[in-house]
Amino acid sequence: MLKYVAKRLIQGLLLLMLFLALLYILLDAQPGDISLQLSANPRLPPEAQEIVRERLGLDQPLLGRTVTYVLNFFQGDLGLSFTQYPRTVGSVILEKLPRTILLFLSATILAYYMGFALGKVMAWRRGKTVETGLTLGGVAAYTVFYPWFAILMLWFWGFQFGLFPLGKFIDVDEWTGAPMAANRVFMRMLISLGILGLVLGAVSLLAHRLPPERGEQVARYGPPLVLVAFLAFWWLSPLRSYVADIAHHTLLPVLTLASVQFAGVMLLTRASMLETLKEDYILTARAKGLPQRDIRNRHAARNALLPVVTSLVLALSFVIGGGILTEGIFSWPGIGGQLLDATLTEDIPLATGTLGVIGIIALVGHLISDVLYMYLDPRIRTS
Amino acid sequence: MATPNGRKLLEVDHLVMHYKTKKGDVSAIEDVSFSLAQGESLGLVGESGCGKTSVAMSLMRLAADNARYLNGEIRLDGEDLLALSEEAMRKRRWKSIAMVFQGAMNSWNPVYTVGDQIEEAIDLHIEPRPTEKQIRERMSRLFEMVGLNPAMLDRYPHEFSGGMRQRAVIAMALSCDPRLIIADEPTTALDVIVQDQILKELKKIQEKLGMTLIYISHDIAVIAEVTDTIGVMYAGKLVEYGSTLEVFHRPKHPYSYLLLSSTPSITGPRRKLAPLEGEPANLLDPPSGCRFHPRCPFATEICVTDEPPLEDKVPGHKAACWHSDRVPVTIGVAV
Ligand SMILES: Nc1ncnc2c1ncn2[C@@H]1O[C@H](COP(=O)(O)OP(=O)(O)O)[C@@H](O)[C@H]1O
Ligand SMILES: [Mg+2]
Repeated sequence: MLKYVAKRLIQGLLLLMLFLALLYILLDAQPGDISLQLSANPRLPPEAQEIVRERLGLDQPLLGRTVTYVLNFFQGDLGLSFTQYPRTVGSVILEKLPRTILLFLSATILAYYMGFALGKVMAWRRGKTVETGLTLGGVAAYTVFYPWFAILMLWFWGFQFGLFPLGKFIDVDEWTGAPMAANRVFMRMLISLGILGLVLGAVSLLAHRLPPERGEQVARYGPPLVLVAFLAFWWLSPLRSYVADIAHHTLLPVLTLASVQFAGVMLLTRASMLETLKEDYILTARAKGLPQRDIRNRHAARNALLPVVTSLVLALSFVIGGGILTEGIFSWPGIGGQLLDATLTEDIPLATGTLGVIGIIALVGHLISDVLYMYLDPRIRTS
Repeated sequence: MATPNGRKLLEVDHLVMHYKTKKGDVSAIEDVSFSLAQGESLGLVGESGCGKTSVAMSLMRLAADNARYLNGEIRLDGEDLLALSEEAMRKRRWKSIAMVFQGAMNSWNPVYTVGDQIEEAIDLHIEPRPTEKQIRERMSRLFEMVGLNPAMLDRYPHEFSGGMRQRAVIAMALSCDPRLIIADEPTTALDVIVQDQILKELKKIQEKLGMTLIYISHDIAVIAEVTDTIGVMYAGKLVEYGSTLEVFHRPKHPYSYLLLSSTPSITGPRRKLAPLEGEPANLLDPPSGCRFHPRCPFATEICVTDEPPLEDKVPGHKAACWHSDRVPVTIGVAV
């Protein structure tokens, strides 16, 4: 298993190099470079333009520059941003990336959790009103034109009901006199969420390891207790109002992004589960006298999960398209919006760097879903 | 051997079951009665589509959703299974009646080890719940009994060959000491040699444990190897019923005779194969009178109009045929 992961990791690194090189060459092939931008400045004589080109290394052959770029990228040097000079691309991305990751991770987890839970019940209740209703709703949400849907959500919840702020990441007025920068508060939130995830994982692992009766108790009472402890921690923290402000701003974009992904997951789970229910081992499970709930969860849903995990890879492509749209519409300061800005202002290093990082995210996601699949399917794990 | 109060373990009494479909009722079980004492083994034989699986599934009460029971009772230890609540029936599955399915090769859930899946049944049905160690011992014993290495308990189904998976299914069926085991074509998907090994194994276990067994097959030669009694089904009806030896040598129904003589015998002397012509009856619209009459070489007027009752032709040997006396004696089929 470790060997497999190592192999995939090396494959991923090679792929990443190739991707970065291609990215660099493609963006270089776009008409115009920095010197032309500078030449719009009438006070810059052609000789000075040449000097700029030389100092930036733009007179070097493309291949050499590409290799340099890829090598630098791997050392964490993504170059300088043109528009935010003298900030490095790396620091710009580091500032925005966590916000994007939060947005997508929470939306994806929410979507998969809910989608799987509902999809499984839909298949089980085949032909009942619940199933028809959810299928209709699911298809509608799945096929909806996303930007329109996002704006609708914003208008409905934010404008009509005023339940949520109209975009952005924080409410600046609330932050005068804050003990620390919003980004630091945010990082703490992120870390605490990570810990929460780990603890929940540990609890469910424990529930599996313990003997059935004890395990069931842990599975039932463990997660709510952990959640309460988590909320209590922030409630008692001096940063409470600031954390609440960020969470308030995060909720609507997460829900919007989640609901579109959720519909797809739900429909896929339903289809997958309907296939699984036809399998012989379901009949065996019934013949063994297992209660309905065990047949559904332990036998049918556990197998129906496999194609759903595969679809996680497909969801990743959504990170790029959906990311730019969501962050644009909700004025969410993440790397999706950053990419859009960088492209519009011809900030080539920033655009290349951002796309490179998105590539890394996609590769990591791919790896995670592969490992997850392997963990879930013994036919792959043991061969 | 009957139970002390004279009751048999299993009594199927005038059972009628139809499948409701858009094209009409499929008469899959039509007035079928038989009974089985503790320790007895019964073979159900007939071509594909005769209703054998429907009978088996009815005993488990796992027939398809469109199955309708129009008449009859299925009594296990005197208790009518068809009258039980779903929850009560659930508790009896595997504990009272276990089953080895048609195509049992796919009976295993690919994501759990074989041991875990057997343990699941033990956990559910054996009270008081044995300790982890006792369960392990029990499973190891079962694996040894069916000729598998107990170390295989921790393996996943895909690591087993077809024959091994089938043996493991048998071990799982035995895991809760059921009163009755139904094996529905358990070896059909296997190659002949493995099939034979497993049959012998099953026979040995059945004798050793004094297990009550219903063995279903379309292959009458296979049945003969395993069971004491044979029931021949045709088009949803039980057409002949008697001891294996009797039915084999002196069949009283032309269908049984044709089934026997169209089965090649490996061990016996060569003989001419009499083909069984035509297709099994369409159960959406079964033939009048005797359901077998369109394919029967001895059919006369009465067979078209009147249904023959299933009655003793020789004491203990029942057949439903107007012309039993014309059915020839078979020769050369090894039992
Ligand atoms: N769910 C069902 N709905 C309608 N007809 C069915 C259903 N299941 C089986 N049948 C029909 O019932 C008859 C008996 O089937 P089955 O019991 O499977 O026979 P066997 O096991 O002897 O091959 C066949 O004609 C088959 O097509
Ligand atoms: Mg069958």
